[in-house]
Amino acid sequence: MLVTGKGGVGRSSVTAALAQLARARGRRVLVTEIGDAPEDYSPLARYFGRDRFSVEPQVLEPGLRGVVLLARTGQELFLKSVLRSGTIARAALSSDVLRRLLSAGPSFREMGVFFQLLTYLRAQHADGKPEYELILVDMPATGHTLSLTGLPDLLLKLVPRGPIAESLKEGQAYLNDPTRAAAWLVTLPETLPVSECLELIDGLRKTQVPIGGVMLNRMPVDPFTPAERALLTTALGHRDVLGHESFDRPLLTQRELARLLAGTSLPVYPLPEFAHAGLIGSLKTALETIAPIARSAS
Amino acid sequence: MTAARIGELLRTKRIIVCCGAGGVGKTTTAAAISLAAARAGRRVLVLTIDPSKRLAETLGVSRNPPEPVAVPPERQKAAGIAPPATLHAWMLDHKLVADSAVRRLTRSPADAEKVLGNRIYQQVSSMVAGMHEYTAMEALYRLTNSGAYDLVVLDTPPSRHALDFLEAPRRLSRLVDSRALQAFLPRSDGLVSRAASKVIHAILGAVFGDEFATEFVGFVGTFSGIFQSLNIDVNEMRRFLSGDDVAFLLVTSPQPATLTEAHFFQDKTRELELPFRGFVLNRSRALNVDKPLPDAAMLPSPVTPEAQSALDKLQGLARHELELAGRDVALLRDLETRAGANATAIALPELPQGADDMGTLITVADVLSNR
Repeated sequence: MLVTGKGGVGRSSVTAALAQLARARGRRVLVTEIGDAPEDYSPLARYFGRDRFSVEPQVLEPGLRGVVLLARTGQELFLKSVLRSGTIARAALSSDVLRRLLSAGPSFREMGVFFQLLTYLRAQHADGKPEYELILVDMPATGHTLSLTGLPDLLLKLVPRGPIAESLKEGQAYLNDPTRAAAWLVTLPETLPVSECLELIDGLRKTQVPIGGVMLNRMPVDPFTPAERALLTTALGHRDVLGHESFDRPLLTQRELARLLAGTSLPVYPLPEFAHAGLIGSLKTALETIAPIARSAS
Repeated sequence: MTAARIGELLRTKRIIVCCGAGGVGKTTTAAAISLAAARAGRRVLVLTIDPSKRLAETLGVSRNPPEPVAVPPERQKAAGIAPPATLHAWMLDHKLVADSAVRRLTRSPADAEKVLGNRIYQQVSSMVAGMHEYTAMEALYRLTNSGAYDLVVLDTPPSRHALDFLEAPRRLSRLVDSRALQAFLPRSDGLVSRAASKVIHAILGAVFGDEFATEFVGFVGTFSGIFQSLNIDVNEMRRFLSGDDVAFLLVTSPQPATLTEAHFFQDKTRELELPFRGFVLNRSRALNVDKPLPDAAMLPSPVTPEAQSALDKLQGLARHELELAGRDVALLRDLETRAGANATAIALPELPQGADDMGTLITVADVLSNR
């Protein structure tokens, strides 16, 4: 599962809750995120009581491991598999020139991340089933997601043969297979997030990654009955009082929800707004029974 | 020494760099700062990255012009910009900037077309990590020195770390710096570099196949030649950006990690010796503390039980808003403390989302310049 969406929409907390849910259902889970440097602070890892994930899968809780996907880790894994020697791969990577090339060269960073992910997809458990029955990837910004999912197509045009091509094709087969992979978009019922979500859907469609659906996070609950709403609408008028904005918010939410539903035929799943304390638990409970928003027959 | 207010910065500086994570309203803030400076009588250029459709239309750059363009004259006039003051805008599309650099730096149009048509160039110009940042720097450097503007405002590419745009070009420039490249190029002298070159060829060959490796190495040579002549030495860029006439601002929004981010940004600018001048706290609800709470007086009398219940719920929402406002007031105070003697902090109200029209920009510009 690739969990994607713009910063600030609650993507990491949704990823963490999905990991907890899958683990509770007895699956072997690997939760990952794409990092820039091993020492980076990770908001996702915070939900598992850590400052950051390690560069190799580390047990977070029984049945749940976490790892940070880094260009360098993947590049090393790849060189190891191609050169069939860890020593040579490490020696090659310690070459200053090669390091410079790999940190700036065309798509090498994405390639590293892609290969590291592929390594975990390939891993087999002793029981013959995959070592990781569910891999969750928390995808930072929109651009990152598209450069990763679009990588195979792009690079295969340049490098149609050879070990890179083989890995790309293998990874692409995973990513484009709706029975094995899906991208999930997290967004908010607000103007910009909805617009960006619709753009991202378009972008993902082009890279042929199957999309599971949209999670509309932090849907406010409207505490008012229609009669109360009518009464207060008149009483409030244009008054600039505290509470007016929150009173209007469900209306904006409905407008943005309608726009989202009109813009895509994908299922849209609402997630309520929860307090920060106990957030992951609340989200997990909500995810257990989540159902898409019904669309009118029209 | 008293810290210069944002209003003073935009009247006196030559470059204002707006940094910040994605989604905090950085692009709108950069546009509002530019507008405020132009309204104060300066010739201003805003270099924007990935503006909303609405903002691109407001600034007149929705068609992605190849060079900076003036905001339509009637709109400038309506916004209170009087000649010689002007407001220009340009959308930093990295492909566009790279293409225009190739055109300027190649000897003939035919040469340029050869490079632009190269399939590796086409892919690479959009794939190379740091390309966005590199081109932003290139444009900032060139346009600031063009003499056409009193102030250039730079909106930086979104990234997890606010100063990534300074680091990314370094990665790229380390790649294209001549010593590193010698190892790739067959004409290298010296036994050691020839040996290194062989190793690298062998690795690239094993990974990509010999044919592509050869093509790629050839390409890196040509491409790096072009980028070397751009003459953007990262150290020179650093000097250029550390001058007295430059101000770095961190644009942020109220969230749990804001203070951590602010702290990180300040440390990092200090480490890089960049002139950090202030925090812009967007989407602040701090101003809400002055708003009244809803009360029974606004209800028609007599107050029915239903009206009372509705009011109770509304008051609940109002108390929550007040609590959030109080939190934002405290956050702004913390940022002011953190800003210290040489910098400032300012809060901007939450704007209706997507409202990137001239009217909204003027509202923000007024808040910015009155401080």
